[in-house]
Amino acid sequence: MRRDVFQAIADPTRRAILNMIAHQSLNVNSVAENFDVSRTAIYKHVKILTECGLIVVRQQGRERFCEGRLEKLSEVSDWVDQYRQLWADRFDALDQYLNELQAKDTPKVSAKKKKNARKK
Amino acid sequence: MHEKNNSTADREIVMSRIFNAPRELVFKVWTSPQHVGRWWGPKGFTTTTHEMDVRPGGTWRYTMYGPNGVTFLNHIMFDEVIEPELLRYYHSSGIDNDPEGFNVVVTFNDLGGRTELTMHSVFRSAAVLRKVVEEYGAIEGAKQTLDSLGEYLATLQ
Repeated sequence: MRRDVFQAIADPTRRAILNMIAHQSLNVNSVAENFDVSRTAIYKHVKILTECGLIVVRQQGRERFCEGRLEKLSEVSDWVDQYRQLWADRFDALDQYLNELQAKDTPKVSAKKKKNARKK
Repeated sequence: MHEKNNSTADREIVMSRIFNAPRELVFKVWTSPQHVGRWWGPKGFTTTTHEMDVRPGGTWRYTMYGPNGVTFLNHIMFDEVIEPELLRYYHSSGIDNDPEGFNVVVTFNDLGGRTELTMHSVFRSAAVLRKVVEEYGAIEGAKQTLDSLGEYLATLQ
């Protein structure tokens, strides 16, 4: 299973967890109390969020506290940006290639004596 | 913006460009193995086509070879092909149910000797972009991220 920001925020429970710890660190059990699902299920979500880098769990005495690392969310916008940039570059290359192809089509005096080389 | 059942506006990236070439040529250059590798790139990458069958149900399989030995296998499956005006396809890595796969519609609009090419890319995961903005709108610290995220969402619509 992929462990990345997209996967992290795809699940509504995980989004809710992130919302909770956005302003303050909470210990894991306090987080779990807010949900109807089992504690084990919440631990699993916290684990995924940790693996995705959106949460850090710190041990303080006997308790484990979840801290948000929400700057990772910028990965989502970075990715959209990269996609647009990829296509902007491709369109540039396509533009250039089309110009090259059409320049070749222009009849010129050439060493090859091919008759009627002009296409459409 | 409401997330209606069939609305793709919140999951879509739209890009458009005008090319100084007739659309027959632009379409050909998109769909012929001998041409497509010459511009698909991207920068620093070479594209090698393994198989290209441009018709509904047909596949274009290709590998992008980049610097430092990095390679990406790509899989495009055509749903709809209307020469020279439209291509609709699903683009993925070829793995079953690839969560990163996305649907693309490319239209080639005739501007009398020039072509307006428009690409709509619809992502499964882009739906969560908007949710993130909605649900994390008040968070400090992530605010800057969300501002730029908000900008992207504005352009997506």
